[in-house]
Amino acid sequence: MRRFLLSTAALLALTCATSAQAQTKIELQRFFGACDADYATVTDVSKAVGECGIITSLVNKFEADNPDIDVNVTTVEWPGYDQLNAQLASGAAPDVVSMHYSAISDYQSRGLIDPIDDVLSAQGISPDSFTDAARGGVTKEGQMFGLPFDNWTMLFHVNLNLMKQAGLVNADGTPILPASADELIAQGKQFKEKTGKPYLVQILANETASYARVLYTLLQQQNADFFADPAKITLNTPEAKTIVEFMKKIKDEGLTTTGLDYAAAVTAFTNGDGGIAVNGTWLIGDFVAQSEKEGTPLAKGYTVYPVPQLYPGRDSTYADGHSWVLPHKDRTPEQTEAVGKLFKFLADNDFQWARTGHLPAVKAVFDMPEFKSLPHRDNIAEIAQTGRSLPGAVQRQFAIQDIIGEEVGAAVNGDKTVDEALSSAESRINDLLANI
Amino acid sequence: MAESYRRSQWSNGLFVLPYLSVFLVLLVFPLVWGAWLSLHKVDLFGPGRFVGFGNYARVLADPVFLQALRNTIVFVVVSVPALVALGLFLALALNRTTRTTSFLRGLFFSSSVLSVTIVTLIWRFVFIPGDGLLAVASEAFGVQPVNFLSTSGWSLFSVGVATVWWCLGLPMMLFLAALQQIPNDLYEAAALDNASPWRVLTRVTLPSIARTIMLVTIIQIVMQFQLFGQAQLMTNGGPNGSSRPLVMYIYEVGFVRWDVGKAAAASEFLFLIILVAAMAQYIVSTRKSEAAE
Repeated sequence: MRRFLLSTAALLALTCATSAQAQTKIELQRFFGACDADYATVTDVSKAVGECGIITSLVNKFEADNPDIDVNVTTVEWPGYDQLNAQLASGAAPDVVSMHYSAISDYQSRGLIDPIDDVLSAQGISPDSFTDAARGGVTKEGQMFGLPFDNWTMLFHVNLNLMKQAGLVNADGTPILPASADELIAQGKQFKEKTGKPYLVQILANETASYARVLYTLLQQQNADFFADPAKITLNTPEAKTIVEFMKKIKDEGLTTTGLDYAAAVTAFTNGDGGIAVNGTWLIGDFVAQSEKEGTPLAKGYTVYPVPQLYPGRDSTYADGHSWVLPHKDRTPEQTEAVGKLFKFLADNDFQWARTGHLPAVKAVFDMPEFKSLPHRDNIAEIAQTGRSLPGAVQRQFAIQDIIGEEVGAAVNGDKTVDEALSSAESRINDLLANI
Repeated sequence: MAESYRRSQWSNGLFVLPYLSVFLVLLVFPLVWGAWLSLHKVDLFGPGRFVGFGNYARVLADPVFLQALRNTIVFVVVSVPALVALGLFLALALNRTTRTTSFLRGLFFSSSVLSVTIVTLIWRFVFIPGDGLLAVASEAFGVQPVNFLSTSGWSLFSVGVATVWWCLGLPMMLFLAALQQIPNDLYEAAALDNASPWRVLTRVTLPSIARTIMLVTIIQIVMQFQLFGQAQLMTNGGPNGSSRPLVMYIYEVGFVRWDVGKAAAASEFLFLIILVAAMAQYIVSTRKSEAAE
């Protein structure tokens, strides 16, 4: 009996030891949503659609290809930085985290994330293999602080079926889009008159990001240098006032959906409740999939374009991007190598991620025939040149976005005058930046 | 008294040590640490520098804090009486021992066991424009639907409705417990005097549970001042900050803006408010025991 017990214990110990040796565990924390019901076991990435499906199946595929590595995924609610902050403060940060380029400077300036140059070079990944925009987004003080994954902007997702009904389609089947703010109002009115539906489907409730991205885009289009000093914003300007009054006019004239949060706005567009969804690159894959289904409001009637140039200054769109960063912590050499392999795998499969609609971060993807044959990519190719982010040295960009969204939202909904809202936004943001 | 005092030994104190250590580590230490942080310019990740009462001055000069304070007070003033009145009404209605009332008690209490995420999800289905229950209902009646979650005034109201629905179980149960303590003789005497039901309610029932009404009111004041999850998940404090409560302000300043010193200073103000309410509860409960003696 004693011998039996001893041998069982020895066997157990041996099993534990081998499995510990065999599997290197890395904790990956990301947003992009949870979709385990559909993709928990999918390893054929080409079958996946949308951000969540593609990233879930990419990680599944990586684990299948590397049985010695166990990637433990934690999904957080977008953007997940509050949770990450708490984890960093308590010394319980994960190994790899998804992060916007616009958030990197906050963490890099406090030494909370590690440079990844050595990890990349160990895997033979050259920094030159990334696009300038993507590389610029993650590079601080000459070092790369994240694996660039994509670049994204807001776009005009168009329901061609409704645009036809409104008489806003050219002979060649392309939509007639506005070339100025006045034209947008005029076309919006025409659309509403002919279809009885709002021209734009916007995220105007319970979210601040959309207001801020539209404001940044239209400020850039007027050449407004609102962050000339990265520690001070200038918003009380005629340019900003013009934009907010324009946004308010769109709402007051009934040319936009109101009261929709992000999820409701996406659903409203797929239900055919409006003509043009002002939303991100990441939805292209999902909307294309919808348009390929018979009997849906988008059936054979979806296309997408960059936000048109509405002001004469320059063609520009606010851009940001997603990356994978390494929180500062102790890792075993095996874990660092496993992270390196994961980064190599993600960079090698950047085309799959680009199927979401995002612009690839890896240069070579642009030349791939598979990428060129993806629908609508010609229409939006120009955002690689026209996409502009805020200056990299601007900190707390998510907190700034919240303030802008709240104040501009108040002006658009008539809770404040435009002047009050812009003054309040400016003073709140400058107070925030002055107290970092 | 003298005997027990003579026999007391310091080692008896060891019996309270487990509780005392948890109390010190999880309550007293964070309390002192929070006060210490409020005097420093500090973020989440490292040592700060002493700024005295600078954070308090910044908090008081912040219009967003004052708006959040106002929102929270309005919320408490409206939701607490609603919770007390509805809780009392349900308790009176269900203070019988039949199968139906037992079932209904369970039903009304069941919302309290849900997490805030589920509660807000349910109420979002009701309030969301477009496909929401109220939007569909008002369209059916030919009325222009209100955007409850994104209209100033309505957003805090919506959060309040969800909160009352969620929190109603506890007041109801406390009132039921109190009602069952009332001696039956009083009702028998009232019946002999041919008292009307209204007179029985106002002269027998309510005076007998007056302490419980006070207790429930104070518990709810303390709880509702800490409003957070419902507002964050339903309205995100909007529009224009009109449904942002104090705890959400503290959360945003501390975790989104990394200004932990200022957030700690705002927390101290909230602590003071809740302390006043808790002291009131203490005074009420000690008076009760004195009266009993």
